[in-house]
Amino acid sequence: MAKTEDNKNSGGNFAFEKPERAKPAKQPVSVYIKRYWQLYLLLALPIAYFVVFKYSPMYYILIAFKKYSIVQTVAEMPWAKNHGFEYFIKAFQNKDFLYALRNTIVLNLLDIIVGFPVPIIFALLLNELRFKFFKKSVQTIAYMPHFLSWVIIYGIALQLFTPSSGLVNMVIQRMGFPAVKFLEDGANWVKTYIGLGIWQSFGWNSIIYLAAISGISPELYEAASVDGAGRFQKMWHITLPGIRSTIVVLLILALGNVLGSNFDRPFALQNNLVMQQAEVLSTFVYKYGIKSLQFSLTTAVGLFQSIVNVIFLVLANWFSRNMGERGIL
Amino acid sequence: MKRKVLSLLLAGSMVLSMAACGTSGDGGQTGVGVPDATTPVSQDTYTGTGEEIEGGNSAELVDGRFAETRHITVEVYDRGNDGGTDPTNNMYTDYIKAGMLADHNVEVEFVAVPRWTEVDEINNLLAAGTAPDICLTYSYATIQTYADMGGVLDLQNIVVDYKNDIPNLWNWLGTTNMYWDKSVTDGTLWAIEGKRANNNRIVTFVRQDWLDALGLQAPTTRQEFYDMLVAFRDNAGTLLGADADKMVPFSCSVDVGWRAALLIESMIDPNITDKEFYVNGFDDRKLTQNGTREAMRILNQWYNEGLMWDEFALHDGDTAEDDMMKAGYVGAFMHNWDYPFRGGEDSIQANLARLVGPDAKFVAVDCFEASNGEYIKYCDSTAGDRKIFFPSTNDEPLASLLYLDWISDPEHIQYLQIGDEGVTHNVLPDGAIEIIPATGAPIMNSGQNIDLTITCNGLHLMDDNLTDLSLSHNYASCDPADVAQANAVANSGKKPTKNAKITTIEAETGMGEALNAKRNQIYDICLSCSVEEFDQKWDELMADYLAAGGQAIIDERTQAWEALYGDKEWLD
Repeated sequence: MAKTEDNKNSGGNFAFEKPERAKPAKQPVSVYIKRYWQLYLLLALPIAYFVVFKYSPMYYILIAFKKYSIVQTVAEMPWAKNHGFEYFIKAFQNKDFLYALRNTIVLNLLDIIVGFPVPIIFALLLNELRFKFFKKSVQTIAYMPHFLSWVIIYGIALQLFTPSSGLVNMVIQRMGFPAVKFLEDGANWVKTYIGLGIWQSFGWNSIIYLAAISGISPELYEAASVDGAGRFQKMWHITLPGIRSTIVVLLILALGNVLGSNFDRPFALQNNLVMQQAEVLSTFVYKYGIKSLQFSLTTAVGLFQSIVNVIFLVLANWFSRNMGERGIL
Repeated sequence: MKRKVLSLLLAGSMVLSMAACGTSGDGGQTGVGVPDATTPVSQDTYTGTGEEIEGGNSAELVDGRFAETRHITVEVYDRGNDGGTDPTNNMYTDYIKAGMLADHNVEVEFVAVPRWTEVDEINNLLAAGTAPDICLTYSYATIQTYADMGGVLDLQNIVVDYKNDIPNLWNWLGTTNMYWDKSVTDGTLWAIEGKRANNNRIVTFVRQDWLDALGLQAPTTRQEFYDMLVAFRDNAGTLLGADADKMVPFSCSVDVGWRAALLIESMIDPNITDKEFYVNGFDDRKLTQNGTREAMRILNQWYNEGLMWDEFALHDGDTAEDDMMKAGYVGAFMHNWDYPFRGGEDSIQANLARLVGPDAKFVAVDCFEASNGEYIKYCDSTAGDRKIFFPSTNDEPLASLLYLDWISDPEHIQYLQIGDEGVTHNVLPDGAIEIIPATGAPIMNSGQNIDLTITCNGLHLMDDNLTDLSLSHNYASCDPADVAQANAVANSGKKPTKNAKITTIEAETGMGEALNAKRNQIYDICLSCSVEEFDQKWDELMADYLAAGGQAIIDERTQAWEALYGDKEWLD
């Protein structure tokens, strides 16, 4: 309880200068906890979850710096060469890793550039609809694909995009054009990948913007109408600024994930002909780590990925604060 | 204030979690790291290399039985097939369990591992320390990787110490398969090679009814095969009518190195030395052998002439290709010698007869001649099938060996392969065994229960003559003459792999999956790129493959060969 004393002291000093805010700080923490113990109890389960599934696995980050062995504990494993950085060096000498790194960044940035505005635009458009039933139906249909697994989406893509038996290509060919290799040509594959990603998620992602929009005071719109503002002017001057902080927070989160990659989407969609564009870090880790047992190498890759993500997150956050937004950290 | 309390709580929980990890780590150690318990009773080490091995027997056994009941776990593949039974608990596993309990007083428990992801699955089990006492895999690299980490039991002493307790195992596998993987340098033996009763590999199949319809003879050379494909393509309307646009003259999957193997291998210099063949032998799809590039050039040309399946790359691991064959859209393909006959009522052959007509069928042809005019079939030796190993968590090595012995008893093999008369097989007038499709409890989850007879792959009856006679009757719902023909083609011109006795190549460790994936990409891209692009793609991708570890393996294999055999180019 040494910390508690500390708190009390600092609180006390603080209180001395600004007496009007001193009251809550003067109470010791134990009293505070006693009073609200039910609330803290509620916190116990989430904390336990984080401890078991998020914090304790962090110990095994050490594997990145050690020579992995199946029969030894992490503590027993010998340190890797080059002061423990052997596997980081190996990763950066590995061409496949560099490909995967490049592809991850390119695909994620494209996802942000092309995909990020789509739910915002969709939410803005949806907000303009006045016929409730139609609005609800469109919204429901739009976020349905979110619940499909990527394996199923790949199955649908096959039915649509294969060169000779896919529906889309059959239409293209009937119109007299040559079949498009949507899935077998690198550049086309990237477009298909991004397109399917947007299709799957834009409806779902628009929910949070719609919620933000509904929080904007209707008085602002009324005042704008009185001033003679049109629909577009209202959208531009009221709705968009109203959800700006939401947009910024989501953008920060997206940028924080620029080196992260989910596994199912690239894994389900990739094939041997486009692997040079489609191999991303998560599938690389799967191939080298789980299938080839190179756990040290892939832990190193995973750690590198996380660190870069944190750097991006912090940078984006700092940037947004400097722009006058709240940020998330 | 609130924040501070929260951060305190979080910090506290983090410290706690670290402590928890420490203890769980120590706990894990006692669970996993106990190789001492598996040290064999006798400390005599086997050092000789002679053929006749003097063996011992265990003092623990009385009439082959333990005094107290022992318990072992055994891996069994789960193929998840329609209408199959529980792979760990069915009529045949009951037979084994009862037999082992009666003969050796050993309780057997089966652990199911999905067949198609077996390497991943066994990796997980080994890493978790929960692998079965008897493990099997097709991937020696996996075993080697775990052996290097100390996760596999060295069998070199126990197979000798207990030799007299396991006569069936030694008789069936012989020193060849028992010692196939024995290191010449330190004598370690990480795995025992199951034996192929039949080492037939790949055969080319063509549609007999299409040949007849177009008045063609079965092809006997590569040129004739090509002409036949062109004829199929050009007569799609005649052969398939309204479905003409679904025609695939020559079908191939993403695994080009297997599914065009006879063509690729026919381009290998027939006088290739054992050394060169060994050095490039790390890739079982022959990517770096000396004729592969030219073979791929031919395939690439065929692809661009519309003779091959243009969607092969998109169907990795699904049944689309088999479905095309069954529906009758495919003119020719290469695959395992019995591929169209497998699966009884659901076999390709049976489906063709049902869906297309009684005349529709695939027949085996032999048409890829090497430069010396011979029809060479590079095949495996009797080893090279499943490898059986005991993880270091196995604390019943003797009981496990007794299991292998029991499962290698000719009588037990025969029962597991053919089952009961009148239920899973009939005895024909000439004595041949004919397999009949079974449903319900007696159904075999794998053909001839291959997943249970882990030391034996292929029909092996107690009488060798009967085995030959029965082989062609072994595929329910298929014409025995077709099977016999495929068997004859597969058997002609066989050239089995020789054992170079070099077991460890460091550069191969952990590279298997990554290089295999790369190899398939090379094959797939070079098959489907345009004719003009072929050379550039091949050079670029091969350079990448070699740089990613292929060259290191070739170099190390060359060195290992030279260290062992000097400048000898041929094995004895």
